[in-house]
Amino acid sequence: MKKLIYIVAAFLGLGWNAQAQTPKGSVLIKNATVLTVTQGNQENTDVLVQDGIIKQIGKNLSAPSGVTTIDASGKYLMPGIIDAHSHVALDVVNEASSPITAEVRMKDVVNPFEVGIYRALAGGVTISHAMHGSANVVGGQNATLKHRWGAKDPADIIMQDAPRTIKFALGENPTRVHGRGNGIQPRTRMGVEAVLRNGFNEAIQYKKAWDTYTSAKSQKGNTTPPPAYSERLQTLADILDGKIIIHCHSYRADEIYMLINVARDFGIKKLVFQHTNEGFKVAPEIAEYTMGASVFADWWAYKFEVYYSTAFNAAILHRNGAITSINSDSAELIRHLYHEAAKTQRYGGLTDDEALAMITINPAKQLGIDDKVGSIEVGKQADLVIFEEHPLSSYAVPQMTFVDGVKYFDIQEDKDDQRQLVAATEMVEPIFLRADEEAHRCMQDVDAYFEAFQGAFLEEHHH
Amino acid sequence: MKKSFLKAGLLGLLVAGFFIQSANAQSDPTGKRRVTGTYAITNATLFPSPGQPGTKSTVLFKDGIILGVGSGISIPAGTQVIPGDSLFIYPGFIDGAGSMGITKPKDPEKPKDFVSSAPPDELAGITPWRTAVDQFDPASSEVDDWRKAGFTISHLIPDGGMIPGKSAILVLGDGKSTNLIRANTAMAANFRGSRGMYPATASGVMAKFRDVYQNSTLALEHESLFASNAGVTRPKVTPTQSGMAPVIQKQIPVIFEAPKELEIRRAMALQKELGFNLILTGLENYEHLIPVLKSSGIPVLVQLSLPDDKAIKAQKEDGVTDATQAQYARVKEAYEAVLKQAAKLEAAGIPFAFSTSGAKSGDALKNLRTMIENGLSEKAALAALTTNAASILGISRIAGSVEKGKLANFIVSTDSIFNEDAQIKHVVADGYIFDYEVKKKTSNGNGTTKPGEGISIAGVWEYQTESPAGSTGGELEFTQEGAGYQGSITYDDPSGSGKAKAPVKNISVNGNQITFEFDVNAGGTDITVTVSGEINGTTMDGTMSIAQFGSFPLTAKLASPSL
Repeated sequence: MKKLIYIVAAFLGLGWNAQAQTPKGSVLIKNATVLTVTQGNQENTDVLVQDGIIKQIGKNLSAPSGVTTIDASGKYLMPGIIDAHSHVALDVVNEASSPITAEVRMKDVVNPFEVGIYRALAGGVTISHAMHGSANVVGGQNATLKHRWGAKDPADIIMQDAPRTIKFALGENPTRVHGRGNGIQPRTRMGVEAVLRNGFNEAIQYKKAWDTYTSAKSQKGNTTPPPAYSERLQTLADILDGKIIIHCHSYRADEIYMLINVARDFGIKKLVFQHTNEGFKVAPEIAEYTMGASVFADWWAYKFEVYYSTAFNAAILHRNGAITSINSDSAELIRHLYHEAAKTQRYGGLTDDEALAMITINPAKQLGIDDKVGSIEVGKQADLVIFEEHPLSSYAVPQMTFVDGVKYFDIQEDKDDQRQLVAATEMVEPIFLRADEEAHRCMQDVDAYFEAFQGAFLEEHHH
Repeated sequence: MKKSFLKAGLLGLLVAGFFIQSANAQSDPTGKRRVTGTYAITNATLFPSPGQPGTKSTVLFKDGIILGVGSGISIPAGTQVIPGDSLFIYPGFIDGAGSMGITKPKDPEKPKDFVSSAPPDELAGITPWRTAVDQFDPASSEVDDWRKAGFTISHLIPDGGMIPGKSAILVLGDGKSTNLIRANTAMAANFRGSRGMYPATASGVMAKFRDVYQNSTLALEHESLFASNAGVTRPKVTPTQSGMAPVIQKQIPVIFEAPKELEIRRAMALQKELGFNLILTGLENYEHLIPVLKSSGIPVLVQLSLPDDKAIKAQKEDGVTDATQAQYARVKEAYEAVLKQAAKLEAAGIPFAFSTSGAKSGDALKNLRTMIENGLSEKAALAALTTNAASILGISRIAGSVEKGKLANFIVSTDSIFNEDAQIKHVVADGYIFDYEVKKKTSNGNGTTKPGEGISIAGVWEYQTESPAGSTGGELEFTQEGAGYQGSITYDDPSGSGKAKAPVKNISVNGNQITFEFDVNAGGTDITVTVSGEINGTTMDGTMSIAQFGSFPLTAKLASPSL
């Protein structure tokens, strides 16, 4: 093996996977109705993008040489839609085998070839929050993705400048998988809280042990051996240090309030609630202590804890000052989030800007990327969508979608077969259109944990 | 317990061997003992290493070592001479990573306090202390099959979970010897999770791999602190951590099984993060990654199997829409791209080798010829099978070419090895000679027979086959259908009692040679069984083979019509 070691060593440090530059485009979009979301609407306005960044917004801009001009007369230009809850482009969703799996990284299992990315682009979505599932109290760390369709390296669709986020889950899913499925804690909502508090307390001990070791290590005659390594506890410690944003799957007001209290006890400020169907009952508390809630427009009653729900939830949360976003958690809903956002106007009477913020700047805030994306402002990354008709209209159809100024979707150049990979052994069967009931994947990969009580409380939907 | 039992078994085998040897010193009642360990194959066309032209040479070897190669070799008395005048000699093939003859040890019982979120390492598939040597049976039929395909050395990967244990390099010589060239050559790893316990998925496996690696590193630190300073608590090193130590100390590489493009990237990402030495094995889809592999310098072992062309053959000529035609074209394109992958590795200058895991031994030469038809040079193909593999495994000094002083491992064939008509007549492994029947061609000028030109096979055949599970059999029925045949086969239903029946496909009759396939559904997945045999009058003699399981003898008799 000596020769082998030599060969490998010789090549180490050659930087074979040094981060390749992701594509950045330049484009001038002319005469659009620009929906900036943060700075009002501007009619017949041009937006100039250079090297992936919005450089100028104004009238009668001219394209520098070599920059393509797109005439968007009569059309609407809005910021790329951001989905704060998705499982698109993940090979694995749930590492459901333990109540805490904070060490698991969704970035390890990103699949840039999944055609769902292209479908999301066709719905104007440029960024999705690829989350771990909800089988565990503390699930894995999520990945924020930029939909650079066609990239082959998973690293090229991961938004490298987005902060770390992690999935938590309360209520029926973790108690069913671990308590009822496997006979371990948590079996109840009290157990969920205990798992969280024990986890954080252990993380504090862990950090202390490493601090002690690090300072003892350099001393002469040191007798302190290194403590065990645990990325699980290290990740929880990073949450306590404010390095990671929690995104917590939750439905009931009592458990939402419980987590707010746990977070306050441990000094955690970076917390976003997901689903949050009873959020309207604790909206002032969510507004005061957290980074808000990411909800469905009108989806509920798929299991017991999700019956007490209202389509006014988003509007109530928003009017109480909570940062509110509307998400998909579904490879189908992700294709028309603009339509989901419009429901807040029917149920709650939000303004256009408020409704559009639910799928742009608000989810950007919840993902910690609002300084980079989420609105059309000079200096921001050029994630843009051109719409036929106003995006909140029932007649809205996305026409072109840009990420970093590069066009990844154009309705005029929409090939029938967008798949990037085709298996050499694929039996080509005739295609039939049908509605796919099982579109959301929050509880994917957890079947093995239900063997003990198969079917007892399972329904079709497992958010 | 199991491990030590296996070790005892191995020791027992050695002791038994010793006694047999000494008994043989007096007489050999079996009559199987070799008269001599010294052989010479004279005046054959020798291709000593890839790229070198064939020259008429004699190869002399004794007790598994090549004593001389060339034209003027003097042959000592007592040498068994094999006239090689019409024959071709190549270096024996080396398998970069294989699973032939390997049996996965049984999982231990779950402990009473078993918790699925924190299972013992052994149940979670983390067993770096295990070794392929303990799992290998040199007398396995799989070993016979691969040797018959020209393989003389295999780098054997232990079976198990995400870190199954250490690999070993073995020579495929006499079944009674341990055949070990080198033990503990690399640490096997893959992305397989454990069902119903942690880690269950590829994401969990990656996290757990980091955990195992980091804690094994810390265990070494603790041990060295304990050795140098007084007052340090005793290190509680686990079998996992001590098993991983040679990896952490970069004494051995990790051999990561990563068939798909994204899995290759994941293995490379772990390597970059943790810094271990890496060999990638089992590569199946890697076309996009060739530049990345090239600049990494990481050794690669690509699968010796190729995708089947069932999907291509199932494509219909007429009556399909343009949309379906377009999909057909993409599948065809994908299929052709896979066949060209190896050639692209060569073009990029990557000195790859092959892994036999998951491949069918009977298809090995056919697959190589397909790769050559698709642009791989014969030189690169031979290098992948010999010198490249030897270099990746660190055994170039003793294997990979036919040279004085190297192990007596070679292939003796009837024609240049990649020629379609070539048949392997002998394989020499560890100096032992294995003879294979060379079939005469029913010649029609170009040496092949068109379908329909073979003898008639129509009728009902009763067959018997021997497998490790016992003897079984059934009926085989063929009916003439135009120029070809259709047929069906009955077999013991694997999911219960009684017989199951399946249609027989890809029937090909060539002279008196017959091959066909059928699918057995076992536990929801289809397993393809390939049968090949030779018909003489009303009897058929052949083998039934299943990828990964090996091949078993099959005999059949024509029941009706009786001739």
